[in-house]
Amino acid sequence: MGFIEENEKERKSFVHKWAEYVRTHSDREWSKQQNMIINSALKSANMTREQFFKMKGETNYVKY
Amino acid sequence: MKFINKKIIELDRELSDLDKFTIDFIDILKKHTNYVIVSGYVAILLGRARASEDVDIIIPRINLLTFKKIYNDVKKNNFYCLNAEKEKTIYSYLEDNLAVRFAKKDTMIPNIEMKWIKNNFDKIALENYIDVKIKNKSLRISHLELQIAFKENVLKSPKDLEDADHIKQVAKEYLDKKLIQKYKEMLHGFY
Repeated sequence: MGFIEENEKERKSFVHKWAEYVRTHSDREWSKQQNMIINSALKSANMTREQFFKMKGETNYVKY
Repeated sequence: MKFINKKIIELDRELSDLDKFTIDFIDILKKHTNYVIVSGYVAILLGRARASEDVDIIIPRINLLTFKKIYNDVKKNNFYCLNAEKEKTIYSYLEDNLAVRFAKKDTMIPNIEMKWIKNNFDKIALENYIDVKIKNKSLRISHLELQIAFKENVLKSPKDLEDADHIKQVAKEYLDKKLIQKYKEMLHGFY
């Protein structure tokens, strides 16, 4: 199995394990852990408006 | 996470910064128009372990006057439009079936990606919604069956397939598998 297939298999396995955790634990328990991922990702997000639209492949914006 | 019935899910989750941001925007938007949240944030709200830089929202086609009211209200509440400043320019993007984005002032991420209903599937999403009750607030998300079918048969990126997997797992006792199949058949050949 190549690196990409191995990586996909591992990701899929994590998604299933995490979903099972969500299903079997209280909302408060899983959301505390999930929030660490979400809040830290949002805090570290740092790009210009132009970079953001380029990343999204969108051109419908006014260039200042 | 309690699936009360086909129209209501109750969540007792701690709110993330993304949830608070979304609730802030929706509290304004719902005063002026119907809406439905679709795509990645649906999976995230239901526990998927990932973040997103945007929250996708579909609204019905609205006239310029209604748009002006929404725009004035969001600006009053510390949001701005990333695409343009002039309301007529922003409205023209919506008329061209393009998405427009709103974020909190002095930020870029997260943002709301708002677009008009543009086909029958958007119409189904808008009409067949689930109210997610969360901390005395409510967020309107699309039918999970439609989200799964769309992610598995149209979007198909690893992220989207994982979102679909997550929703299928957490809602497995609630989902109508025949409806997922029906949506997949409807989507076949459309996109």
